[in-house]
Amino acid sequence: MTLIDALKSIYLDFIAVIQATLTIDGMVWITATLIWYWLALRIHRMAKGSPLLHPLVVTASGVGASIALVHGDISQYQLDAGLIHWLLGPATVALAIPMYNQWHQVREFGWRLIAAVGAGGIIAPLLAWSVVFAFDTPLAIQMTMIVKSITTPLAMEAGAKIGGIPALAAVFVIVTGIVGAVVSDLVFRLCRVESAQAQGVAMGTVAHAVGTAKALQMSEQTGAMATLGLCLNGIMTAIIVPLLFA
Amino acid sequence: MESLKKSLIGWAALLGCFVAGKLLVLLFDFPLPAALTGLLILLSFLIVRGKPAMSVSFAASPLLKHMSVLFVPAVLGVGLYWDDIVQHSAALFGAVFVSTAVALGLAGIAAQKILKKRMVVSK
Repeated sequence: MTLIDALKSIYLDFIAVIQATLTIDGMVWITATLIWYWLALRIHRMAKGSPLLHPLVVTASGVGASIALVHGDISQYQLDAGLIHWLLGPATVALAIPMYNQWHQVREFGWRLIAAVGAGGIIAPLLAWSVVFAFDTPLAIQMTMIVKSITTPLAMEAGAKIGGIPALAAVFVIVTGIVGAVVSDLVFRLCRVESAQAQGVAMGTVAHAVGTAKALQMSEQTGAMATLGLCLNGIMTAIIVPLLFA
Repeated sequence: MESLKKSLIGWAALLGCFVAGKLLVLLFDFPLPAALTGLLILLSFLIVRGKPAMSVSFAASPLLKHMSVLFVPAVLGVGLYWDDIVQHSAALFGAVFVSTAVALGLAGIAAQKILKKRMVVSK
C-alpha cells in the first residue's frame, strides 16, 4: 500500500463517520446515547460508585432497550452512532497521558514492579483461557478471553488482532472489572493479602479501570498502585499478545 | 481563547499520533494495533521531551473521563453473538466470574511476595 492509498483510506473512513453523524438518525441516536450516559452517571453517583451500576452497564442497557423499542437493528445503530465509536481511537491514544504521569513511578520501583504486574498479567489470562479451553469453546472465544484483564480499548484492538471478537472482548472486560471490584475485599481477606501496594497492583492488573476505581476508594496508595498495574499490564499485554498469536 | 488554543494544539497532537499509528500499521504491516501504536508514539514523545504535556492533557481529559460512553456501540454488538453466549454460558461464567476471583487472589499473593523484599530494603 502506498502512502497516498493509506492516507486516502484513513480520510474516507473519517468522512463516512462524519456523513453518518450529519443525518437525522445519526443526530438522534448520538443524542439518545449521551442522554442515557448522563442518566447513568447520575445513577452511579447516587449508588455511591457501586461497581454493579457501572455507567457503561446502565448506558448500554438503556440504549439497547431504546434500539429494541424503535427498530431493533443494532448494526444500523452502530452505523448511525459511528462517531462515538470512532472517538475511541483518539481516546486510546490519550491513555498515553496517565501512563506518562506514572512513568517516574515505574523507574522508581524498578523491576520488582514490572515483575509483580507481569505475574498478575500472566496468571489472569492463563486461568481464563484454561477454563474456556477445557470447555472446548470456539477458538474466537478462547482468543477473546486472553485479553479480558486489560483496559477495554486495548483489549478490543489486541483481541481483533489475534482473531478474537471486539464486541465480546468489551463485554468480558467490563464484567471482569465488575467481578474483580465486587469480590476484592473477600478475596484479599481469604488470601491474606494485606499490603496496600500488593492489593493495588492486583486490582489494576486483573480488574483494569473498574478495579482501579475501587482501589482508589480503598486508599490513595492502593489507587496509585492500581493505576500502575492498569497501565503497565495494558501496554505489556497489548504488545506481547499480538506478537505471540497473530 | 487561551483554552481554545490549548485544546486545538492538544487535539492536533492526539489526532497526529492516531494517524501516524494507522499509517505505520497500513504501510508496513506493523504487528501492533493502530491506536496502541499511536499511544506508544505519543508516550515516547512525552518521555523524550520530559515535560508535563499541558495542551495534550487538556484535550485528553474529557476523552479519558468519559471513555465509558465510547464503548457503547461496541458493547451493543454483543447482541449479534447472543446465541454463542447462551451456548457456552457455563464456560464463560467460569472464565469471567470464577477465574477472575482466583486470579485476583493469586496476583495479590504474587505481588505481595515480589514487592515485600523491596519494602524491607527501603527501610
